[in-house]
Amino acid sequence: MSIHNLNPSIKAITIILCVLLLTMVFDPITPLVFILWIFFVTIFVAKVRIKKFLLFLSPFLIFAVGMFWTNVAFANEPINPTDVVSLFGRNIPREDIQTALSLSLRILTFASLSLLFLLTTNIVHFILSLMQQCKLPPKLAYGILAGYRFLPMIKDELVLIKSAHRVRGVNRAKTLKEKVRQYKRFIIPLLASAIRKAERTAVAMESKGFTGSRDRTFYRQFKVTPKDWLFLIMMLSVLVTLITIAWQVGYFRWYNGEI
Amino acid sequence: MNQETLVKVDQLTLSFEDDPKKLVLDDINFELLAKENLLILGPSGCGKSTLTHCLNGLYPRELDGELAGEVFIKSKNIHEFIHGEVSHSVGVVFQDPETQFCMYTVEDEIAFGLENKGILPSEMENIIDHVLELVNMRAYKNRIITTLSGGQKQKLAIACILAMEPDVLVLDEPTANLDPVATSEFIETIQHLQQQKDFSLIVIEHQLDGWVSLIDRCMMLNNQGQIFYNGNLRDGINVHRHTLEQQGIWIPMPAKLALEIENQADYRFDTLPLTVDDLAAHQVPIPVRPTRIKKSNTSLALKAEKLSWAKKSTTIIDEIDLELYEGEFITILGANGSGKSSLSKLIAGIEKPTKGSVYLYEKGLNEWKERDLRMKIGYVFQNPEHQFITDAVYDEVAFSLRVRGLNEEEVRARVSVILAQCQLTGFEESHPYTLSQGQKRRLSVATMIIDDQSLLILDEPTFGQDANSTNQLLSLLKERNDAGTTIVMITHNMEIVQQYADRVIVMDGGEMVLDTSPNELWQKSREQLKRWQLDIPIQIKLEQRKQKDVSYVYS
Repeated sequence: MSIHNLNPSIKAITIILCVLLLTMVFDPITPLVFILWIFFVTIFVAKVRIKKFLLFLSPFLIFAVGMFWTNVAFANEPINPTDVVSLFGRNIPREDIQTALSLSLRILTFASLSLLFLLTTNIVHFILSLMQQCKLPPKLAYGILAGYRFLPMIKDELVLIKSAHRVRGVNRAKTLKEKVRQYKRFIIPLLASAIRKAERTAVAMESKGFTGSRDRTFYRQFKVTPKDWLFLIMMLSVLVTLITIAWQVGYFRWYNGEI
Repeated sequence: MNQETLVKVDQLTLSFEDDPKKLVLDDINFELLAKENLLILGPSGCGKSTLTHCLNGLYPRELDGELAGEVFIKSKNIHEFIHGEVSHSVGVVFQDPETQFCMYTVEDEIAFGLENKGILPSEMENIIDHVLELVNMRAYKNRIITTLSGGQKQKLAIACILAMEPDVLVLDEPTANLDPVATSEFIETIQHLQQQKDFSLIVIEHQLDGWVSLIDRCMMLNNQGQIFYNGNLRDGINVHRHTLEQQGIWIPMPAKLALEIENQADYRFDTLPLTVDDLAAHQVPIPVRPTRIKKSNTSLALKAEKLSWAKKSTTIIDEIDLELYEGEFITILGANGSGKSSLSKLIAGIEKPTKGSVYLYEKGLNEWKERDLRMKIGYVFQNPEHQFITDAVYDEVAFSLRVRGLNEEEVRARVSVILAQCQLTGFEESHPYTLSQGQKRRLSVATMIIDDQSLLILDEPTFGQDANSTNQLLSLLKERNDAGTTIVMITHNMEIVQQYADRVIVMDGGEMVLDTSPNELWQKSREQLKRWQLDIPIQIKLEQRKQKDVSYVYS
């Protein structure tokens, strides 16, 4: 099964359902096993390059480790102060470790789920599919698509404006106040050209007969096939099974708003 | 011939909300027949684009203003069309290649129009292949649009429109942003299309070299949005030759040369020649334009040694040695992406080379303090708006003087001199963004000459400007040049090269392939010039034509 070719909307719904289910769980083991499952799906089924995946995951990894540390260091008064684990040569209450671990694993699961989606989905296809499956209004959808095209143009333009201003003899901003002033100077030409571009594009779209109505055909058709449902069921059933096991074995905990 | 009337415009008058008294279009009346090619000529700001919006159904629905009169497409009043339906009859190709697409790939973009029209998805593939074939871009079907060149984008724009099978094709200054070679390719494509498909053409232009042979009829608009001529192109240019020049409309180069002949020699053309062939047929001396004398006694201003620049392992500039002398007028030529802009930015010290070094007056660029360097080298970017940093024309020009700490009296004296030179006197309090295109351009030059910079570099400063503002800019540059400023200008306009340059540098694939005088450049073979995307100026073409005729007569 190729994750890349799944219907983008169903894929997104699957991910969202998984995230919603996971928010209710607060034990460290369920997310940990589920993360391993996501890794397996991303790397072996979707065949995303490990290096790329880890590279995108690394900021979240750092964030998760930081979360773990702060939660251990600044934990609430433990209910069971005698039940301790030795870590880094210090005795730390077991429940603090558990809370910290749950929270940081939570971050990692959400991050890797999102990456599974982002690394296997073409954003243009996602928007087209949202329009076809989820009734996203075409006016909004094509607006987003056209705007998305502008992003690299705006980035290039910012570089140009920066060097153009340097040539004018504008000093390099040193203090925060100067920096704010400088960005204000960049914003005006940038906005002026963005507005002009947007207007021209809108006129061009309209003169190709675009009215924003839903009454249109689609060159790239996105359909929901059994394999899309299979993916949804598979991901959810893995998660539900993990939760059931946790329940049975007895380490399951509801999330109670811990941070 | 089929005499069906496709478009009928009846007493069309239009004004915008923000200035209801100024009529943008004033009592416009015309008809367009089936298979007819109509040219609409007018200076920038004469309401040409507004007229386009009236024809494609955008106005009156999206208009903030007043519209009177009627527009009929195929005898049906434009009010009776349902939203979006006009696009089935009238297709428009716009001026800016960057902003007329909303999708990522070529095929999706063509499909976009078909989807709007409600064509069955099963039929789309065939239509897309067919129209790509028509504009000779079949190989680009899966390409991402941003990777195409400007010329290819404009051809894609035609393909998108053709897919919807309109009866009328409106081209709104389609070649204004293209270089000369892409322009002539675009016009050839249109010519080729007309042999294969039935459609009428409305070409809106202010630059009409190349279109002449395609045009059946011509309509001329003036600054007030009125039609002052409607008829045969040849007669129109003949009768209104002086009005056209006043209005800043580009008349064909051969016609312009003919006018110069009339001024210099005592000769009058009964009908103005519009093409090189027309002009060559007349037995008149070609006007002698003062060719520039190469200055010899000048000293070295800037020197580049083994200059290389690479970005992400692709070489953009490859080992260039260059010497610029004081008072030279140098043009840098070459195809898009050949490294012209990059070279100019390296020698201006805006980008840092990966290898090699640049010396300004024998001192390395990196040894110069940024502020001192900017007082020596001025750089005018392609889009003038990028360089504006204040809210008023006066402050804009005064900016660097004030940074240097000059007292306000001295600032005022110098600014007023420069503003007068750039013909901007009277606009001191205006916001730079509210100026016209030509004024913006001159203001950006003004800010770069205020410190008496000895080297001025300009990146395609005449791009998309009308005849008047181009001439004003060039005479300003010439004045500076005569006063000793070294000018380096990137351009695609061969007439400028011929008329102003002492020296040409041709770039190709990041290398400097030629460094010589304009006259020697024109001696290169046609194939060679075409490979560099260069054209020969009309005057040289004419001389070569005459020489050929002479040798033909005597052989």
